[in-house]
Amino acid sequence: MAVSGSQLSAPKRRKWLHITMGVSLIVVAVALTVGWQILGASEVARAREATTLRWVVYFFGTVLFSLLIAGLVLIVTLLVREVRLNERQSNFVSAVTHELKTPVASLKLYLDTLQMRELPDGRREEFYRTMQRDLERLHATINNVLNAAMYTDRPVVDAQPLDLARLVRHSIELTLTRHQLPPECFVYAGPAELMIRGDATALETAVLNLLDNAVKYSRERVEVRVEVAKNGDGQAHLRVVDKGVGMTRAHLRFIFKRFYRIGREVRRSRTGTGLGLFIVKSVVKGHRGTVSADSPGPDLGSTFTITLPGVIEEPGLVEKVLDHGKAAS
Amino acid sequence: MPRILIVEDESSLATGIRFNLELEGYAVDVVTDGVDALKRVAGRKPGGEGFDLILLDVMLPGMDGYAVAERLREAGDFTPILMLTAKGRPEDVVRGLEGGADDYLAKPFDLPVLLARVKGLLRRRDWARGAVAESGPASARVGEAEVDFGSFEVRRDGATFRLTLLEAMLLKLLVQNAGRVVGKGEILEKVWNVTPDTATRAVDNFIVRLRKYIEADPRFPKHLHTVRGAGYRLDP
Repeated sequence: MAVSGSQLSAPKRRKWLHITMGVSLIVVAVALTVGWQILGASEVARAREATTLRWVVYFFGTVLFSLLIAGLVLIVTLLVREVRLNERQSNFVSAVTHELKTPVASLKLYLDTLQMRELPDGRREEFYRTMQRDLERLHATINNVLNAAMYTDRPVVDAQPLDLARLVRHSIELTLTRHQLPPECFVYAGPAELMIRGDATALETAVLNLLDNAVKYSRERVEVRVEVAKNGDGQAHLRVVDKGVGMTRAHLRFIFKRFYRIGREVRRSRTGTGLGLFIVKSVVKGHRGTVSADSPGPDLGSTFTITLPGVIEEPGLVEKVLDHGKAAS
Repeated sequence: MPRILIVEDESSLATGIRFNLELEGYAVDVVTDGVDALKRVAGRKPGGEGFDLILLDVMLPGMDGYAVAERLREAGDFTPILMLTAKGRPEDVVRGLEGGADDYLAKPFDLPVLLARVKGLLRRRDWARGAVAESGPASARVGEAEVDFGSFEVRRDGATFRLTLLEAMLLKLLVQNAGRVVGKGEILEKVWNVTPDTATRAVDNFIVRLRKYIEADPRFPKHLHTVRGAGYRLDP
């Protein structure tokens, strides 16, 4: 009966060993520096002939010790960052494996069943619908991975005029259909039209990801408020407010990082790959905008805010640009 | 009819597997997380129908499949487990099998292969039951209770209790050594096939269950006694 409780796995133990060693080295270096300075200072002070040479040695020694400590701190910081990325990456492989293999397994199971057995029409129709849903899920995961690759570190070069308000309303409709939700789950608050310059496809991907998350991390009742507004300095704001599971302050720091998912992958409670918010951030960054998240705490909902520059103030100008676009095409 | 518990949080997979297993003539229950799985298995009423096989996914919300298998084995439950999971690397397979799974199938799988594995695991269970039924006495009488090792049943006061394989093995060991104290180590070795010094409460739990079958008042046992510091003694 081989039973291991909550013991740390070997790689985890190794990771903590490395970090502990790094931190211990820093402590030793700081202790040495402080000791050396006290000794050195009293030595210099006591010496009858406080020569310039002694002071020079003392000064350079202090500088070198400080450099040593700074270097050690830098190395340990990098190590911790590397360890975190590694963890996220291995979680990502796990998540993508699950997200890709589950619908494939389901599709194969239903295909095998259809081939192996004589089924009444009603049952067969039901199986086709299940297979359709599995295909859509597979498609969404593949798109997610491709989008993450496509929008990483890529500024928008060919920004076109687009109606952000309409794009958001369209995304809400798509999300409602995708999750088979009644319209009252989403409330839109904003102008009928808000023209900005940007990449419509990329922005729609980002908005859809935010709305999708709002649904995914809701509890039984989905209640999402989507606000669109423009402020005085020519920036557009989009806020998505949900009443879902929320998160702690500790998680807020990491959620826009690539592959980050709350919790351990083997105990996954929600579908996903850990790419959604990273895509949102990449797209917004490409538009020279900002994105932020806030949550009062677990079970208290979350708010995501996107700010985009490039609001087109003169409606006349927009029409001109649009007309010009039409004439050109 | 063999009873199978599916532990799977992906509803389309659970529904598809259930549909196929029911067509093969099995009774099927589905739970969607690890904690529920443990509750469902532990919630078996003493002497009632247990599960003959558990199909266990690994990536589950709350408690993962490895932990579920380990907890079940710790509690002395040896219902065969077939792990069914997207994690198909050799180290995942080893972890699953060492943690208590009897077989491991990676997703995506072939339906005929899944059905054959299920049949295989159930057949192995039948062989084990057959071996227990054939060795030693075929029946025994303990107080008011009539024990039939052929059908794995205990009848007392008009009620019939069904024994699991391990319950039957433990009861048979005690019957064969009636009047003598049988040590916990000996029980662990002969029934559970583990070393005598294994730390587990499985034996105590099983004794409590056996008392419910054979004793009129399990709180004041007349036949199955605990001998403090030594083991257990059955006085028929």
